[in-house]
Amino acid sequence: MTISVRQSGAAQVVDLDGEVDFGTSPHLRRALFDLLGKTSKLAINLQALTYIDSSGIATLIEVLKDAQRLQKEFVLFGLSPAVQDVFRLTHVNRVFRIVETEEQAVAPA
Amino acid sequence: MTETEIHVTFDMCSQARYLPIIRATVGQLAAMIGWDAEESRSITLAVDEALANVIRHAYHGRTDGRIELQIRAAEGELQFRMRNTGDPPDPARICAREVGCDKIGGLGTHIIRDVMDTVSYESGPEGNWFIAAKRLRRQA
Repeated sequence: MTISVRQSGAAQVVDLDGEVDFGTSPHLRRALFDLLGKTSKLAINLQALTYIDSSGIATLIEVLKDAQRLQKEFVLFGLSPAVQDVFRLTHVNRVFRIVETEEQAVAPA
Repeated sequence: MTETEIHVTFDMCSQARYLPIIRATVGQLAAMIGWDAEESRSITLAVDEALANVIRHAYHGRTDGRIELQIRAAEGELQFRMRNTGDPPDPARICAREVGCDKIGGLGTHIIRDVMDTVSYESGPEGNWFIAAKRLRRQA
């Protein structure tokens, strides 16, 4: 898994590439919590993610809850088919704010 | 063993770095049997979740625990038997979490149950077994 970060408007956009599993999710967790402390809005690009397991979903939920506690925005966009499968299986679609495009993700809520 | 069967066995330590190798194998076997890309991904995910649960809960993150995974791919069916010698699973924690909420953790056993046709957990003198199977349903 690779994690790339860029600024887009008021948001930090995080581009995830590769696979998030039990072995790599702790790295993702550390990176997202670190970024959350530095911005008012995190937008996670899941377009190039080829795999995510329940530990990756748990990581996203954990960061979401902390964002809510800190009154910051946390949005997911560009869900790849592999990610959509796991979201469907775990019924977490309604837990997150999910949009299709980066433009929608970085636009003011 | 028949001409259309293949048996694959992994004997490995409880290390997450081996998970991509297992996923690649399970995905290829599922596709070979006839599941489409989405279903193959789901089967792969379920096996991956079972393995991760063993590393996390049976061995508590230890990297020197032994995991044996036997896969039997026959015509229209995949069977999985996985053995570990760590702590046995707590039945009260299997599928205990509510789905569709923002609770952290506990999703893996739901995924396994939803994807597989049969799932069982057995413990005995030789260790703990996770046994699961998935049958291909051909459209009429």
